[in-house]
Amino acid sequence: MTLPAEQPTMIEFKDVHKYYGDYHALRGITATIRAGEFFSLLGPSGCGKTTLLRTIAGFEDISSGVVMIDAKDMAGVPANQRPTNMVFQSYAIFPHLTVAENVGFGLRKDPRTKEEKAKAVSEALEMVGLTGFGARAAHALSGGQRQRVALARALILKPKVLLLDEPLSALDKKMREQMQVELIKLQRQVGITFILVTHDQEEALVMSDRIAVMFDGEIAQLDDPETLYRKPANRRVANFIGTMNFLPAKIVSETSQSIQVEAAGFGSFTVAADQASGKKGDEETAVGFRPETLTILFDDQKASDREAMATVEEVVYYGDMTYYDIRLDGAPVAMRLSMRNVPGRPVLDIGARARVAWSTAALVLFR
Amino acid sequence: MIKIGLQAEGTTESLGGTMAQGRLQRRILNPEAINGLKMISPTALYATLLLAVPLFLIFLYSFLTDGYLTIERIPTFGNYVETWTSPVFEKVLMRSLGVSMAVTAATVLAAFPMAYFVSFYVEPSKKSIWLFLITIPFWTSYLIRVFLWLVILGYNGVINSTLMGLGVITEPITAILYNANSVVITLAHAYAPFAILPIFVALEKIDRSLLEAGRDLGESPLMTFVRVTLPLALPGVVSAIMIVFIPTIGDYVTPSLLGGPEGKMVANLVQLQYLKLDNYPMGSATAVSSMAMVGIALIVGFAQSKLFRRVYGAFIGYSNAGLSILAALAAVLISFGACIVVGVVASGAFFAIVLAVAIGHIALLIWLKSQESKA
Amino acid sequence: MKGGGFKIYAVAYLIFLYAPIILLPIFAFNNAAIIAFPLSGFTTKWFQALWAEPALWNAAKNSLIVGVSTSILSTALGVFAARASTRYNFPGKGGILGMIMLPLVLPEIILAVALLVLLLGIGVPLSMFTVTLGHVLVCTPFSIAILSAAFQSLDRSLEEASYDLGENAVTTFWLVILPLVMPGIISSLLITFTISLDEFIMAFFLAGTESTLPVYIFSQFRFPQAVPVIMALGTILVLLSITLLSIAEYFRRRGIARTGGKDTGGFL
Repeated sequence: MTLPAEQPTMIEFKDVHKYYGDYHALRGITATIRAGEFFSLLGPSGCGKTTLLRTIAGFEDISSGVVMIDAKDMAGVPANQRPTNMVFQSYAIFPHLTVAENVGFGLRKDPRTKEEKAKAVSEALEMVGLTGFGARAAHALSGGQRQRVALARALILKPKVLLLDEPLSALDKKMREQMQVELIKLQRQVGITFILVTHDQEEALVMSDRIAVMFDGEIAQLDDPETLYRKPANRRVANFIGTMNFLPAKIVSETSQSIQVEAAGFGSFTVAADQASGKKGDEETAVGFRPETLTILFDDQKASDREAMATVEEVVYYGDMTYYDIRLDGAPVAMRLSMRNVPGRPVLDIGARARVAWSTAALVLFR
Repeated sequence: MIKIGLQAEGTTESLGGTMAQGRLQRRILNPEAINGLKMISPTALYATLLLAVPLFLIFLYSFLTDGYLTIERIPTFGNYVETWTSPVFEKVLMRSLGVSMAVTAATVLAAFPMAYFVSFYVEPSKKSIWLFLITIPFWTSYLIRVFLWLVILGYNGVINSTLMGLGVITEPITAILYNANSVVITLAHAYAPFAILPIFVALEKIDRSLLEAGRDLGESPLMTFVRVTLPLALPGVVSAIMIVFIPTIGDYVTPSLLGGPEGKMVANLVQLQYLKLDNYPMGSATAVSSMAMVGIALIVGFAQSKLFRRVYGAFIGYSNAGLSILAALAAVLISFGACIVVGVVASGAFFAIVLAVAIGHIALLIWLKSQESKA
Repeated sequence: MKGGGFKIYAVAYLIFLYAPIILLPIFAFNNAAIIAFPLSGFTTKWFQALWAEPALWNAAKNSLIVGVSTSILSTALGVFAARASTRYNFPGKGGILGMIMLPLVLPEIILAVALLVLLLGIGVPLSMFTVTLGHVLVCTPFSIAILSAAFQSLDRSLEEASYDLGENAVTTFWLVILPLVMPGIISSLLITFTISLDEFIMAFFLAGTESTLPVYIFSQFRFPQAVPVIMALGTILVLLSITLLSIAEYFRRRGIARTGGKDTGGFL
C-alpha cells in the first residue's frame, strides 16, 4: 500500500452526468486517476460505480461532462478504439474458442507474424499462471481459471488502463483472497493503471492505492485506504467502511487549532481541528470511533489517555477476537468494542462491569 | 438524434418544448430504441405487408358487393346480414364452437398430467428427450395423420376390428366416424403438443421450494397441489387454451376428411365461398364473423372465469368450499343465461342472441374491473 | 416408484400420439388395395409405384423449392426479429412482436384467404412464389421462437468483450455472435423446412394450378386405389421429417451447451 509518487494523470472526469431516461445515474463526477495507480470504485449496488467504469471503457455514453484518458477527450471514441481493456464480471470468455484463441482474440489486426503472436499468447498465459492451458476448451475451465484467461486476454494488448468489474465476486472466499494477492503482484509487475469496481470494502482496502467511495451517483470520498478508514468524510462513508460507533455530542467552543466537545459518557474534551470531518451543519454533531480504538482494561492496566466505567450488554465471540457492546455510565447508547483474545485473559459476561480506556486523538468529530 | 427528436415533437421552439423534447428523446428515441427498431424493421415490414394489410383487406372486402366475375365497389352490410341470417352459418358456427371447446377441454385436461409428469417426475437430463418425443408427431405429415384416423376409427378400422375380435361388440360402431366426434378425437390428437408445452413451461417455472413450503406449513400433497401448484400453473393453462381454441375453430383438413356432411366447420364454409362459389365478399364476411365469434367466446370465457373467482372468493369467507363453488357456478349460469334470455326476448334471431351475449359480457368485464380497482 | 401412475399415463399418451405414425408403415407394406384390417401380407409394390407418378415428382420438386426458399427467408427474418427482441428495448416492441407472432395462433385458413385476396387484388399470379410468401409468414414465428432461445443464452458481455478487444459491430457479429447462434440457425432452417414441407392450407389456396406434396396427397385421398401409394409416400416423408427434426434437436442442444446455458427443452 505504497502511495505512488506524483504520477501524471491517466484518467480525468470533469463533471460527468449520466441519465437513463429520467434516472440520474451519475451526478457530476469530477476526479482524476493517476498513471500506474491501483484505483478502486467502492460502493453499494446501484451507486453508479459500474456505470462510471463503463464510461471509461466506452460502453456507456455520458449525458454531459468530459472523460479524458491520457489527456485525450474520449467523446465519440468507441470502445474498440480506447486504450483500455476490461475484465468482465462474468469474465465473458468466448465459449466457442480455446483458451489460446480467447487470449489472442484482440491480436487479429496486430501486424506481427503468427509465430510471434503465439509466443505473446503463451507469455500472457504464463504471466497469469496458466502455462500449457492454451489448447483447452473455454467451457472446461473453473471460475478461477476463467478469470486468469480474462486477465491474460486483456493484458496481452498492453492497455494503458485495465478495468476490472467486480472480478472476484464469483469466486469463493479462499480463492478470492488468493486472487487479491495475485492481482496486486500482477499490477506491480506490469505497472499499468488498474481500476477495480467492488462492493466489498475489505477487498478495496486490501488492494487499492486510492479508493473512491460512491453513493447515489456521487463520489462521497476519494482517499487512500488509511485516510478513508481513519477519517471518513461523513457518517455514511464511516458506516460503509468497517464499523463505527457514534455518540451524540455538542461543540462547546472552537478555535482554528482545536475544538472543545462535550459528549454524554465521555465528558468534556478537546480535539484537534483536523479531527473534524465534513462541512459544518451537514449532520447532527457526533463523535465517532472505531471499535478497536476502545480497550477494556484488565487488572492493574493503566489508561494512556482517558478511562471510564461501563457495563457489558452483549458479547460476540469470534475466536481471535471478541466483540463487546458496552455502555459507558451516563452514555445514551451502547457502543461496540473489539478486543484481541489473549491467553489467560477472561472473556467477560453480559452484565459485567469493566474499565474502558480510549484516546481522544483516535476520535472523529462529525458535525 | 436531435433531428429525430424534433420531427417527433413537431416544431415547438419554446423552452418548454425543447425540454419536453429532451425528455422524449431520452425516454423513447434513445440510440438503443433506434437500433432495436432498425433491427426488427425487415421482419415487421414483411408482417405488415403480408399479414396486417391482407387482414385489413378482407375486412374491407366484407363490405363490398359481389358482382358477376367482378367485385363491385359498392359499400354494403348485405354480406353480414346474409351471413348472420343464414341457418347454415348458424349451424356450422355453433358446431365449430362446440367442437373447438370440446377439443380444447379434452386436450388441456389430457395434457396437464403429461406436462406434470415431465416437469416433476422426469430427470432433468431426460426432459428434453420427452419433449422431443411429444413434439415429433406434431411436425410430421399432418394430412396423413388425419387420414389415418379414418383407418383407426373406420368401419373396418383398428378400433372396430379389435373390439369385434375380442367379442366386445358384434356390429361395428359407427358413432365415431364422419361426424363431430371423429373431428374432436382427431383434433385433440393434432393439438396435443400445443397444450403440453405451455403448461410444461409454467410448471417448470415453479420454484420447487414453494411446494416444500406448502408441505411444511401443514398441507397434504393434494392440497399443496390445489393451493400452490395449480394457481402457479394457471398462466400456462390459459395460454394452452388460447393456443388450442383459436386455431382449431378454423381447422379445415380434419372436418373435410373426417367430418362427413354433419361435421363441417367454418373453414369449410369459407373455403366453399372463396374457391367454389368465388364470392370473395361473402367469404370475407364469413371469415370476419367467425373471428369475431372467437373474440366473443374468449371474452365470455375470460369474464366468466373472473366472475367465478370473485363469487367464490366472496363466499369462501362465510361457507365451505363446496357451497362456494356451487354459488360461483350459479352466478356463471345466471349471468350467461340472462344474456341469452335478453337476446331471445329482444328478437330471438341468432345474431341478436350473440350480440346480447357479447354486450352482456363486455359490461360484466367492465363492472368486474371497476370492482377490482375499488378494492 | 414415485410417479408410477403418471408414468403409465404418459406412456399411454405417447402411444395415442404415435398411433397413426405406427400404422403408416404397416399399411405401406400391406399387400392390399384397401386400407383396413385384417392385414394381408408383405409387399414393396406401393413404394415401387411411387416411381411411376410424374405428378408426384413434380409436386416433390415444388415442395423442395418452396421448402428451401421458405427456410432461408423465414430464418433470415427470424434472426432480425429474435436479435431485436432479445437485445433491444424500443417503443411498441410488444405490439410489433405480437403482430409478427400472430400466425402462430390465427387459423391458417384466415391467413390463406387474406393473402389470396391481397395477391389477386394487386394482380400477382398464383404460383410457387406466392406459396413461399405464405409459408414464410407461417414459419417466421417458429424461427423466432427457436432463435430467441439461442440469442437469449448469449451473454451480452461477450459482445462487449469483443468491442473492448478492438472489434467493431460487423466483425463482432461474424467472430462472436454468428458462431454462437449458428446451431440455433441450423435448427431453425431444418424446422422451418419441415413445416413448409408439411404445410397444406396455404399451398391449397395459393398454389394456383401447381401443387406441392401435401396438395398432391390431399387430391389423391379422393381415389381409394391411390391411397396405399400415399401410405408409402407418407412413410418416406415421416422418416425424412423425423431425421431432419432429430438433426435440428441435436444442433439446438449443442447451441445451448456451447453458450453455457441451461437446457429448458422444447422448441417453443
